[in-house]
Amino acid sequence: MINLTPEKVIEPSPDNSEVVLSVEGVSKKFCRDLKRSLFYGVQDIAGELTGFRAKSDKLRTKEFWALDNVNFQLKKGEALGLVGKNGSGKSTLLRIIAGLIKPDLGTVRVTGRVAPLIALGAGFNPILTGRENIYANMSILGLSTKEIDERFDDVVEFAEIGEAIDSPVQTYSSGMAARLGFASAIHTEPDILLIDEVLAVGDAKFRAKCNRKLNEIRSQGSSFVLVSHNVAAILGICDHSVYLSKGNMIADGLTDSVVRKYEADLFIQEQEIYHGKVYFEEKTPIASSGADIRYFCFKDIDGNIIDFPEVGEYVSFCVGCKIHQKIDEIFIYFAINDLTKDNESILVMSSRFDKKCIKTQLGELEIQLQLPCCYLRPGTYEMAIHLQKQNSYAFDIVSSLRFEIKDSHKITYLNGRNLFYHPRKWNYLTTKY
Amino acid sequence: MNKLTKRKINRSIRHSRQATWNIYSPESQIKHPIQLVKIMWRDLLASRELAWRLLVRDISAKYRQSFLGIFWAIIPAVVTAASFTLAKNNGIVNIGTTDLPYPAYVMFSMTLWQTFVEALNAPIQGVTAGKAMLARINFPREALILSKLGEVFFNFGIKLILIILIFIWFKMPVSTSVILAPVALIHLVALGTFFGLILAPIGALYQDVSQVITLATSFWLFLTPVVYPVPSGGGLFGVIIKFNPVTPLLVTTRELATTGIISDPIGFWIASSISLVGLLVAWIVYRISMPYIVERISS
Repeated sequence: MINLTPEKVIEPSPDNSEVVLSVEGVSKKFCRDLKRSLFYGVQDIAGELTGFRAKSDKLRTKEFWALDNVNFQLKKGEALGLVGKNGSGKSTLLRIIAGLIKPDLGTVRVTGRVAPLIALGAGFNPILTGRENIYANMSILGLSTKEIDERFDDVVEFAEIGEAIDSPVQTYSSGMAARLGFASAIHTEPDILLIDEVLAVGDAKFRAKCNRKLNEIRSQGSSFVLVSHNVAAILGICDHSVYLSKGNMIADGLTDSVVRKYEADLFIQEQEIYHGKVYFEEKTPIASSGADIRYFCFKDIDGNIIDFPEVGEYVSFCVGCKIHQKIDEIFIYFAINDLTKDNESILVMSSRFDKKCIKTQLGELEIQLQLPCCYLRPGTYEMAIHLQKQNSYAFDIVSSLRFEIKDSHKITYLNGRNLFYHPRKWNYLTTKY
Repeated sequence: MNKLTKRKINRSIRHSRQATWNIYSPESQIKHPIQLVKIMWRDLLASRELAWRLLVRDISAKYRQSFLGIFWAIIPAVVTAASFTLAKNNGIVNIGTTDLPYPAYVMFSMTLWQTFVEALNAPIQGVTAGKAMLARINFPREALILSKLGEVFFNFGIKLILIILIFIWFKMPVSTSVILAPVALIHLVALGTFFGLILAPIGALYQDVSQVITLATSFWLFLTPVVYPVPSGGGLFGVIIKFNPVTPLLVTTRELATTGIISDPIGFWIASSISLVGLLVAWIVYRISMPYIVERISS
């Protein structure tokens, strides 16, 4: 592998002998202006070759810090999560760790074989067969032919390619190619695995298999650095996390607290989270299309307005409407997205599908959706409310209402694998002999 | 012992061995030249297997997508030779007498020239084709160049068939010095690689470089004794040809393979030294620039 600076052999001191990756004060400048960026590239090369590179701690015109003084350590067998919005410098950091680009300030020390899972199927040539591509790809990832021979069968089996292994890769489905790429990369048995948003390859079954494989190689002592927007993935795998925002390290430590901080920032920056009762602007009868949503609130079992639903408890979703005309059949539906899971749609509740449409009279109306037990796990959600007539004609839409679900009684486990809370009881029937 | 446990043992051996740390810092590598050369040598050795893989990959992909296949390596030289012979025989161009039959002279020289141009283009093509890989994986960067050079020699091997056919057809004598011809050829390829490698970093950033190379090589061809013999007289043209470093290397390769009489041994050794020293310098430039290239080509 290329060493960006001369190799030094350092005997790790006893107290940190388990550290396999150490990032110390790493900073990196970037430039978004292409022409200028290319010119700076030439400038840097010239400086590097003459050995008189201008001090790189000053920003040139149109440059910014893509990473600013980032520090962390990774121990053997540990998994570290990198969270942050797009453009926060996560991928840049991974590329510095992989030794692809040089830091402008600071040092990265890394030991063992580093495999970037950034690069699935790098070097795949569509004309060649799967077999030939496995050899080329794993060779690029640093394995000798002998090592590839040993792993070949495992790779093919893992990728579930079967007979197609001797067909050109261009005849593969995108899923097959992605599986082959993942299988080749994972079978290099790296000491440090850099994973950048790639756990989304293939179908659910293959994803589960990937996760199992990752767990397996981790139990053998490999370390991970995982980058994802998907907070649930990070929560499920990583013990420690680092939160980057615009190149700055905002928080680091236990994944739990880091992720909480990240989520809090994410939603505060974007939109106020709803608390209490929220009113929507009243429309004039002309602007109105017949029925308007006037307010929304959560109520508890006693009918009191509450700020947020509690996991496992009764809650009713109350929508206040103003009706301007007689409507034969009006219905309402709620669509809820999980913001901690890439804003994935998780729940739709519609009075039409439940066959609970009603006829309306002029006047005010409060529609209540009563949930005897809130199954949603704690987190932040976004809800859309549609007030509609049957032939998908919408009277009024509230598009994005953010709310939280809290777990004040700590009845859920914070665990990436629990997608919802299920109310339950434990019972032990003992029989004496 | 089954495969799995064997592998686990290998793995643990690897772990126990690991005491080396890779350190990435902003410091310039050029300040530690001895270590730099050591690492370059280590990477060159480490990249052989990968280079071979890439070579096999590229060549098989290339020929699988081609109907005429290897003929493309031969056709340009034949066409050039045919057109110049036609022009010469009809008095359109006035070319002095060559020590070999003219069509054979052009075809052989053209083959050597092509090999030089291929070597010149190899590094930039290698880097351009490997951009996606370069941007994502830290493999020994030498592999890209080695594999491309392998392709140059592979193509030359095909062209060799043509050359042998020419020798038989024109009943040309071969002197024993032919066994030294490959040395001169390697120096010719080294010269091409030197120019290509030193331009490769800039060529990866700016498209202009490959345009300039295409333009420059077509002009350069006429400043090199490929379709005409080495001019005996002086004059500006004669001087330019004399100082063209390709001239002594190409002419000497040709002479070693045919007459066995080397007309300009001093020129040959000067050009060879330029090629080999230049190649080493270009290699250092290439290595040191690569992280900066990766930084700029892929965000």
